[in-house]
Amino acid sequence: MKELSVNHLLGIKYVTEDDIQLIFETADHFKEVINRPIKKVPSLRDITIANLFFENSTRTRLSFELAEKRLSADVINFSAASSSVKKGETLIDTVNNILSMKVDMVVMRHPNPGAGVFLSKHVNASIVNAGDGAHEHPTQALLDAYSIREKLGDVAGKKVVIVGDILHSRVALSNIFALQKLGASVKVCGPKTLIPKYIESLNVSFEPNLRKALEWCDVANMLRVQNERMDISFFPSTREYTQQFGVNKKLLDSLNKEIVLMHPGPINRGVEITSDVADSKQAIILDQVQNGVAVRMAVLYLLASKIQHNED
Amino acid sequence: MKILLKSATIVDPSGKHHLKQRDILIEKGIIIKIAATIPNDKKIKEVVLKDLHISQGWFDPSVSFGEPGYEERETIDTGLQTAALSGFAHVAVNANTQPITDSKSNIKYLRSKAEGHAVNLYPIGALTVESKGIDLAELYDMQNEGAVSFYDHKKPISNANLLKIALQYTQSFDGLVQSFPFETSVARNGMVNEEINSTRLGLKGIPALSEELQLVRDLHLLAYTGGKLHVPTISTKKSVALVKEAKKKGLNVTCSVALSNLILTDDLLETFDTNYKVLPPLRTKEDSKALLKGLKEGTIDGVTSDHNPIDVEHKKIEFDHAYFGSIGLESCFGGLHKEMNVEAAVSALTNLKSVFKIPSERIEEGNKATLTLFNPNVKWTFTKDDIMSTSANSAFLGETLKGKAYGIFSNDQLILNS
Repeated sequence: MKELSVNHLLGIKYVTEDDIQLIFETADHFKEVINRPIKKVPSLRDITIANLFFENSTRTRLSFELAEKRLSADVINFSAASSSVKKGETLIDTVNNILSMKVDMVVMRHPNPGAGVFLSKHVNASIVNAGDGAHEHPTQALLDAYSIREKLGDVAGKKVVIVGDILHSRVALSNIFALQKLGASVKVCGPKTLIPKYIESLNVSFEPNLRKALEWCDVANMLRVQNERMDISFFPSTREYTQQFGVNKKLLDSLNKEIVLMHPGPINRGVEITSDVADSKQAIILDQVQNGVAVRMAVLYLLASKIQHNED
Repeated sequence: MKILLKSATIVDPSGKHHLKQRDILIEKGIIIKIAATIPNDKKIKEVVLKDLHISQGWFDPSVSFGEPGYEERETIDTGLQTAALSGFAHVAVNANTQPITDSKSNIKYLRSKAEGHAVNLYPIGALTVESKGIDLAELYDMQNEGAVSFYDHKKPISNANLLKIALQYTQSFDGLVQSFPFETSVARNGMVNEEINSTRLGLKGIPALSEELQLVRDLHLLAYTGGKLHVPTISTKKSVALVKEAKKKGLNVTCSVALSNLILTDDLLETFDTNYKVLPPLRTKEDSKALLKGLKEGTIDGVTSDHNPIDVEHKKIEFDHAYFGSIGLESCFGGLHKEMNVEAAVSALTNLKSVFKIPSERIEEGNKATLTLFNPNVKWTFTKDDIMSTSANSAFLGETLKGKAYGIFSNDQLILNS
C-alpha cells in the first residue's frame, strides 16, 4: 500500500508531489463515500483525535470534525477561549495533558507561525496543522488544488492568481507551494502593502492590476481581507480596496474567457467579490467546502494508517 | 600566587614577544620574567597545557547576566565564571536588569558583587531613566562610580533630540553613548530578518531597513554634535558601508558585531528553533560575509558574544512568544577563529578595550598579567555539555568551532577548565 512520506501534515512545503497525488486519489474515494446514503466508514474507529483550536474557526473546525466522524474516529474538541491557556498553561503542557488521555492525533489551529512544527518536536502524536499564523494552512491548499483538478481536469500547466491580503495569509503561502508542486504557475495580486516584499523569491510574480491578473489566469483565488490580523492600516478604506481589487460581474463578463473563481471563506460579500459573482456558476466556493471534508478525510486516514503501521 | 606558564605562544600583535614560544613567570599578578626557558628549581606551580597560547585578556562589550532581577537566567557569579572559562578577563554588563541599572547605587551594587573575582566587571549604565527613552539618567554620577558606557539595552533612542542631547552632554566627561540601530516603526513586531526565509515561514520580518534608517539618523546626529558614539551589534551589509563612510568622514564612531550575525544566517530558521531568535536577527549570507569583511578591514571595531541567557520557560515556547537572545561566551572564540586567523580573532576580542577605556597592558616583564590562555588549534563541536551558563539558549549548538579557551589569569587568580 502506498503511504505518505511524512508522519505529520505541518505544511505543504514538507510534503512531496507524490504525497499530494496520494491524498487526491484517497480523497476521490472518500468523496464518493460522503455522497452515499450511508456516509460513514469504520476506518478510524480505534483512533482518537483532538481538535485543538487556539484561534477561532468555524468552517475548518466543522470540516475536520465532520471528516473525523465520517471515518468513525472518537473526537474531542478544545478551544482556547474557555481553557487553561487563559490561566497561563504552556502549549506543550496543554497538549501533553490531552495526549495523556490516550489521544492519537492532534488537529491544531494556532495563531503563531511554526506552532505545529514546534509541537511535533515535543509531543508524541501525529499533528495536522489546521492553520498556524501566517505560515501554512495545508488542508486548505490541498482542497483548493483538488477543486481545481476536479473543475479543470488537472492542475499542471494552469495559471492561478491569488488576490488580496497575501502578507497575513497562510492560505496564500500553502496554495503557492501546493500549486507549484503540481506544476501550476502562480501570480499574486493586491495592494503592494499586503504583498510580502520578497514574494518573488518563491517564483511568484506580482501583478498590481486586477484586470491584467484576471486576463492572465485560469483560476482566481480571492482571499478575504483579514482585518483582525492588521494592527495598522494597510489601505485607506474598504471602499477603495474594492474599487481596485474587488471582482464584480461586469469585470468578469468583460474578460475574453471564462475563469474559475475560488474563495476560502468566509466571504465579505461586496468587498472581495460581489454577491452575483459569488453565486455565479464560475464560482466553485461551495464545491471547495464539500471537497474540504473529503480531502481532510484522506489526510487523516493516511496519517492514521502510518500510526497503526508504526505500531505493528 | 606564583606560577610559571610553560611553553606558551604569545599572541600580542603589538608586543615584542609576538608569536614567540616562551616561559612566563608571574608573581603577585605581575609578569616577572619572559624567557625561552625558565628553570623551575623552586618548585613553582607550573601550567603545562597542550598547544598553549596566551594573549591579553579578552573583552566582551555586551553581556547580560540577569542579576539583579532575573537570577534564574544567570547570576553575576555564574556569569563571571562562564566568562573566565570562556577566556574573557573583562566584561561590560548591560543595564537590562530589574531594576534597570540607571543610577550610581545600581552601578555600585554590580561592582560590589564582582569584587574579588578574577574577571573584571564593567557596568554599562542605562542612557535614560529606566531605559524608557524619555529622560537622561544621571550619566556623570554613574561614570564616576565606574560605568563605562551608557546604553538602553536593545532599545533605540527614538527621540532624535534626546540622542542629540546625550551626545552633547557626555562630551564634558568623555562618556561613551551607545544607540541601538533599530527603527521600531519599521521593525514593528518583527521576529526575524525580512527575506526569503521569513516569507516562506510566515514569520513577521524585521527589514534591514529598520537598522539602516536609524543608523543613518544617528550618524547625522553625531556629525552635528561631535563627541563619540558606539553602535552596538550592526547586522547588515549596508550598515557596514554606512559606518565605513562615516569613519572616512572623520566621525568618532565605533561599532561591534555579534558573533551570531557573523557566523550564522537566517537559513537556520527552517525548524522554528527559538534559539535562533536573536536581536538583531540572523540575516543573509551576503550580510554575514560583508560583516566579516568589515571586521577584517577594521570598519567594525570588535566582536561581542552578546551573551544573553534566557530561561527555558521563555525559550521552549512558540516562536512568536519566545524572548530574543542567545548565550554566546562559551562558543565565542571558537566561532570567531574558524572565520579568521588567530591574530585577527584576538584583535577582534581586545580592540574595543580602548573604546570602553578598559586597561590594557602588553605581555611584557613588569606589566600586570591579565591573560587569556587558549588552544587555537582544537576543532570541536559545540554541544549542550559545553554550556557553562545557567541558561542553555545557545544558537551555536551543533556548530563546528576552531579553538577553545583554557581560561584566564587575572587579578592574581588562575581560572582554568578542569
